[in-house]
Amino acid sequence: MSIVNAVTCPVCGCLCDDIELIIADGKVAQVKNGCSMCESKFLNYISEHRTKTPLIRKEGKLVSASYEEAIHKSAEILANANYPILYGWSSTDCEAQRAGVALAEEIGGVLDNTAVVCHGPSILSVQEVGIPTATLGQIRHRADLIIYWGCNPWSAHPRHLERYTAFTEGRFEGSEWKSYINKVKASAGRKKLLSLERKGVLKQRHEPHVQTVSDNKPPATLSKEGRKLIVIDVRKSMTAEMADYFIQVDPGKDYEIMLAIRALVKDQELDVDEVAGVPVEYLQELVDAMINCEFGVIFFGMGLTQSAGKFRNIDVAISLVRDLNMRTKFIIMPMRGHFNVTGANTVFTWQSGFPYAVDFSLGYPRYNPGETSVVDILLRRESDAALVVASDPVSNFPRKAVEHLVKNPLIVIDPHMNVTALVGDVVFPSAIVGIEKAGTAYRMDHVPLPLKKVVEPPDGLFSDEEILRRILAEVRCIKSQKKEVA
Amino acid sequence: MITLTPLRRFQFPVMAECINPDVFQGKSVAEIAALEAWEGNRKKKLGDLFKIKEDPAETPNITLTGDASEVRRVGIGMKNGEIVVNGNVGMHLGEKMSGGKITVQGDADGWAGSGMKGGLIEILGNAGDYLGSPYRGSSVGMSKGTIIVHGDVGSDVAVFMKGGVIKVHGSAGPFLGFRMRSGTVHIEKNIGNRAGACMTGGKIVVSGFMKELIPTFTIDGVKAKVKIEEKEKVSGPFYVFLGDLAENGSGKIFVSKVNNPHLGQYEKFL
Amino acid sequence: MELLIKNGFVYDPINGINGEKMDIAIKDGKIVENVREQRAKKIDASGLTVFPGGVDIHTHIAGAEVNTGRLMRPEDHIKDVVRKTAITRSGVGYSVPSTFTTGYRYSIMGYTTIMNPSMPPLEAKHTHEELNDTPMLDKASYPLLGDWWFVLEYLQKGDLTECARYVAWMMSTSKGYAIKIVNPGGLESWGFGRNVHSIDDRVPNFGITPREIMCGLAKVNKMLNLPHTIHLHTNNLGLPGNYATTLDTMRALESVATDAKPVAHITHLQFSSFAGNDWRTLRSGAEEIAKYINAHSHITFDMGQVIFTDTTTMTADGPFEYTLYQLSGHKWVNNDVETETSGGIIPMRYKRKSPVNATQWSIALELALLVDDPWKWFMTTDHPNGGPFTAYPKIIAWLISKKARIATLKKCHKKAQKKSLLPSIKRELSLYDLAIVTRAGQAKALGLKNKGHLGVDADADVAIYNLNPEKTDIARKYKIARRAFSDAAYTIKDGNIVVKDGEILQHVDGKTIWLDVQTAEQVKVDEDMKRKFKEYWTVEYENYPVTDHYLKISDPRMIKADV
Repeated sequence: MSIVNAVTCPVCGCLCDDIELIIADGKVAQVKNGCSMCESKFLNYISEHRTKTPLIRKEGKLVSASYEEAIHKSAEILANANYPILYGWSSTDCEAQRAGVALAEEIGGVLDNTAVVCHGPSILSVQEVGIPTATLGQIRHRADLIIYWGCNPWSAHPRHLERYTAFTEGRFEGSEWKSYINKVKASAGRKKLLSLERKGVLKQRHEPHVQTVSDNKPPATLSKEGRKLIVIDVRKSMTAEMADYFIQVDPGKDYEIMLAIRALVKDQELDVDEVAGVPVEYLQELVDAMINCEFGVIFFGMGLTQSAGKFRNIDVAISLVRDLNMRTKFIIMPMRGHFNVTGANTVFTWQSGFPYAVDFSLGYPRYNPGETSVVDILLRRESDAALVVASDPVSNFPRKAVEHLVKNPLIVIDPHMNVTALVGDVVFPSAIVGIEKAGTAYRMDHVPLPLKKVVEPPDGLFSDEEILRRILAEVRCIKSQKKEVA
Repeated sequence: MITLTPLRRFQFPVMAECINPDVFQGKSVAEIAALEAWEGNRKKKLGDLFKIKEDPAETPNITLTGDASEVRRVGIGMKNGEIVVNGNVGMHLGEKMSGGKITVQGDADGWAGSGMKGGLIEILGNAGDYLGSPYRGSSVGMSKGTIIVHGDVGSDVAVFMKGGVIKVHGSAGPFLGFRMRSGTVHIEKNIGNRAGACMTGGKIVVSGFMKELIPTFTIDGVKAKVKIEEKEKVSGPFYVFLGDLAENGSGKIFVSKVNNPHLGQYEKFL
Repeated sequence: MELLIKNGFVYDPINGINGEKMDIAIKDGKIVENVREQRAKKIDASGLTVFPGGVDIHTHIAGAEVNTGRLMRPEDHIKDVVRKTAITRSGVGYSVPSTFTTGYRYSIMGYTTIMNPSMPPLEAKHTHEELNDTPMLDKASYPLLGDWWFVLEYLQKGDLTECARYVAWMMSTSKGYAIKIVNPGGLESWGFGRNVHSIDDRVPNFGITPREIMCGLAKVNKMLNLPHTIHLHTNNLGLPGNYATTLDTMRALESVATDAKPVAHITHLQFSSFAGNDWRTLRSGAEEIAKYINAHSHITFDMGQVIFTDTTTMTADGPFEYTLYQLSGHKWVNNDVETETSGGIIPMRYKRKSPVNATQWSIALELALLVDDPWKWFMTTDHPNGGPFTAYPKIIAWLISKKARIATLKKCHKKAQKKSLLPSIKRELSLYDLAIVTRAGQAKALGLKNKGHLGVDADADVAIYNLNPEKTDIARKYKIARRAFSDAAYTIKDGNIVVKDGEILQHVDGKTIWLDVQTAEQVKVDEDMKRKFKEYWTVEYENYPVTDHYLKISDPRMIKADV
């Protein structure tokens, strides 16, 4: 039995690296410090859903094959393709991503990653307006105003608040755990009293109206010392329950409300009384809280990137934070989902100049989301082959895009038989990065962290990186043979 | 005149920036057929992709017939001459052109007239997104020239526009005139939301219906007529809105009073 | 593998060779006394100029800041695309090239060693990963330490010895090469949106002054016996009137100098040499600065030349980049790094018709030409801040030819022309001086004993240029010189011919040079770091260091410190 410390969790963009594992009999026996997603990944990596051998579709059915056969078939498909796409990348390590860039370049294909359905809009807006940001430690040490807009870390990034924001201890700001616990106690107490009143056990009291979170009305706590937590969303999420102040916005209207806030920050007067369901006077109080803080931060997620307005929503959020820097210190950060989606964007950018939707078909890297993004290419039915690594597009792409993906040769590299693998033509099993393979990943704030190998992969399984390098070598072989023949 | 007809339906994107009167100028059919074009990741010759015919008519210089919806970069950077497309055409039509004329009988895809510096593009069908708008990260918008679309246009039209005129007979999608600096856009029918966002100058004229106005615009008055370009005025009356206040902008949105009674609520500020 | 470069005009200032016609012999990647002519591969360098391979002491080409610069400028990339060949990878160029393209283009100009000057230690792995993907060159990186909380705390206590030990720990942990200081005190202040405005301002929450940080670290540098001096980006960079701060800075450092050797290198000095009170009255402070440097021996500097083009500024000086945003309104990135440092990026266009930009252009050249001793200054653009490194041949032309300078000056705004000192400066650099300011001097200042010269045992990094000093008057025919330095006739790296006639012949990987600083009490420092780590950073102690996995070819230099 052994204990492994400082393990980096390969699940979400938090990339918590303080996980402690107990290994017994060559398997992970216990997980400490992790959230439920972390535990689940580390305890269930041995499952019936693991693909055991490479598979090739023959006469409509997936049958076992050797790595050599599968590599040769994949290489043939890719070397001969006229407009192949190479997609995924966000749940594997940087070492594999580098191999991916080399392969995409070699076959003249389009290299794209999951940002295209996630934070691609955030990247697009950074390219238009830049971004005032920082690493997560700056927030932990300094932030006294924390805003989560269009995201729900309670579910998607469970340890975010306790590791980086409202519930951490920093050099200049302390944790707000106590006040949260008091609030929960008070609300639990209130709920109990109300229920007893309803049952007639207690006489009806005349209690002054206790403000509930969905009133939108700014509470007194907005001007307290210490960290303040604000959640802005279209519905009261679990994170909103923890907040000092929750603002409910009409769906699809985040753009308008942020524009209004920008104008208020600049001391402009608005002709309207209410924006997106929120009275302007409440917005004014929010603006006051923003201007009077020492260090504010806005975290945002799919609520902004995938609702009407998309990258322009992020544009206005970033512009707002830019404007706030005139009055105080403020930063903004996207809540990246997959544990290494940031790594994919980072690696693609340094090697090709562009973060995603990189089209190598002309022999040099080209970038134009809408034209070179994989979802759009599939919707226009332009591609004729696909390689999918470390993601599951068949389960989350638009249906028409999936139809075209499946109609053409589809090569899948993944530890599990996910939906995409089920409809693939060549399927490679691979080792799980961060458990069975060591590598590098980048946190949502671009901090690079090492991923550990804590157990051996199933017998005979290669890593994503190894499979990609072998396919690349085989492609080069095939192409040089073609040249000789030509 | 050179007529180009696609030899087959193109599945893969065809990059054909050589389809440009400046490039064809002075070349024989054989030389034109040898010009470089790409189909997917294969370098080809124009003659591998198109049937190329020459006939004695002087203009237009180039006619593109058949389905050219996957043919991109036609007329990029052109300075003179005329192109007629007898069907649909692909992305980046007439991008950065500074003179000459392009007419499309069908639809044009995204980024038509992107960063235009002069000349005329007339699309009889619909135009896609980013009409006249610059490339990712660039703040250099359309500066001169005219774009006329008879059908509808998509989203993010006239972004960073700093001159020239865009006239749309149909409707427009969202974010029209985003970050607009100068120039004029006229939409005869309806307009999508968030028009004029972050505008600092220029004119957007809407003769049809505009569902809502972003909150950072303020009413500036009512006008009977507005000028689109030399010798063209459109009759209103129009509500005139000034903005975008979030950018301390002085752009103007003229919205038809008759077709937008719900905007009457702003009259109280006059 | 043996190589013989025959009959070239050799310029090797470190060994006092000034255009002598001689052979250079190479064996197994090193310069040797001689090789057997029949066995060796030969290069006929008759009529050609032979220089040691280029050394660039300050160029932002790898790491978090650079990569965000790449990410935010797709419109810059499309102007300059690079196609894949059988030998080379594809990429994009212009002001923030992709990594492969960076390596190839430097090599094509005859460069063989480059220094990446800004590495936030928390993100050091990122810097090293990018350096691994920058081919053709030997490289190193400078960790940003001037606002690191450990440095601020120990210097505030006055404990130089402990400070030195922690700096040593950080140097080895981040696999760095020199102590980089940017706007000392300003970056920590910027953590809450503030800045420092003089070298005696106190940093909020720490109480220490920039003067104390700079002098403290300069002393630490000596105690650790580091090969380079502290590498310093001054306070008040880019603000009119800041030459006074620069003079204050240099004077403050006098106390650290105990012999005639340099104790500090001021980088991109042009940005720190502004006189005048505001943008309207901006003028050059080069004369005053040059006068001081001529009279002292404890400072070296590099130019930070401005090129009239569209480029991207990126520095660790977060507050300064914000000022640029306020002035220009362009898209702006800020990235503060916990416990350590800051950073900002903003595109910038330098125009001839802008009196400010034209004056900046003139200042860098004035500094270079007014400082008598060419061993004290080096040619850079602070790539990409002043302009892309591919513009170096243009700067060479301005340095070797008054005609070239005046031709460019005449196209500038009249105001700048009037204020410029260039019309009164006659000096034109010789090829010997050029070899000093583009390689020999840089290598010497960096303490890289095997670089920047062609003596026996030097690394066989050689650049051969199409320039015949006997036939070409470089001052009059500067265009020929400019072309020659743009595309090397040959670039030789570790004895391999990697470039011929401006084309890459083979893709090679260079080494990453770093310092393994040995101090006493190393174990105690490690234990202390382990304990305190979580109070400072949001990552684990174990995951922080740059392990060997992150260096493709590691070239450690063992340094024995005096602490």
